[in-house]
Amino acid sequence: MLIQYVLVAASIGLLVLFLRRRGSARTAAGTKLAFVLFVLFGAYAALRPGDVSVVAGWLGVGRGTDLLLYALVVVFTFATLNIYLRFKELELRYARLARAIALEAAEPPSHVPPGD
Amino acid sequence: MSDWPDVWLIVPVFNEAQVIGEVVRNARKTFDHVVCVDDGSRDGSAVEIRAAGAHLVRHPVNLGQGAALQTGVEYARAQPGARYFVTFDADGQHQVDDVVAMLGRLKSEDVDIVVGTRFHGDTSHIPWIKRLILKTVVLLSPRTRRLGLTDAHNGLRVFNRTVAEQLNITLNGMSHASEIVEMIDRRGWRVAEEPVTILYTDYSMAKGQSVINGVNIVFETMLKSRAGH
Repeated sequence: MLIQYVLVAASIGLLVLFLRRRGSARTAAGTKLAFVLFVLFGAYAALRPGDVSVVAGWLGVGRGTDLLLYALVVVFTFATLNIYLRFKELELRYARLARAIALEAAEPPSHVPPGD
Repeated sequence: MSDWPDVWLIVPVFNEAQVIGEVVRNARKTFDHVVCVDDGSRDGSAVEIRAAGAHLVRHPVNLGQGAALQTGVEYARAQPGARYFVTFDADGQHQVDDVVAMLGRLKSEDVDIVVGTRFHGDTSHIPWIKRLILKTVVLLSPRTRRLGLTDAHNGLRVFNRTVAEQLNITLNGMSHASEIVEMIDRRGWRVAEEPVTILYTDYSMAKGQSVINGVNIVFETMLKSRAGH
């Protein structure tokens, strides 16, 4: 089926894109591995949807597509949370940078008698 | 020279040009050292602060009240002779007399930090919706209750050098009050409460935290990243 080629191509494309993206040294290796597994699973699911349906049957989920949908929801939630935390961390660094600039340029009062 | 040469008032300011001059001038009748952290105001706050004779530290961008407090504390603790630190609101809600009473307790009792509370004696001046929410926050926080605090979100605090040195507010927005309570607990600072009067003027009510923001505070506190420690 055509959709199989499309999905596998998309999976490989994502994998390449992800692995080639350098610079963010702090991306944990665990996340990378999880992502690779996820992509491989996606490709496999596209090639042999029957197997996914079997697994779905074991788990008591009706169809393979439903299983994929549920997995997607979990992954999406996880990713959102990760991004949120990442964002907070960046915000903190940004605040520290702004603070350093502010303290550098602090202005002591020019002489004004107190309580006037 | 005043009676309090070793006290620093830290005032986070965001768009308070209308009132900040008066608040600073009033505070400087009693205290020599006032540092205002202008958190990226777009009005004439900075001009008013300069004219009133306070130290001025300006964030190049708006970061939030928590970040402004941290900046103010870092500025004040680097000043020679600074021993006592006060966090004071810019909107005129807080009373200098209360600060003096709290400083007295900090000096005479064995405590590191004194926080203001609105919930001693008559509380009828506090708008009921505010009272309900503040009470709920305390009820929901086992830590606040364990420490014997009745008002976790009071902006008026007086503390010593130990606290100032260790203070590290990582939540930039309005959730810093919960974060400070957490720090009191984790770092084992000795804490006491002092009844204070908060003047609820139309101005301060319009500027104050909205009720909806409570949801943000709960969320941020729960998801607080450990990365900042």
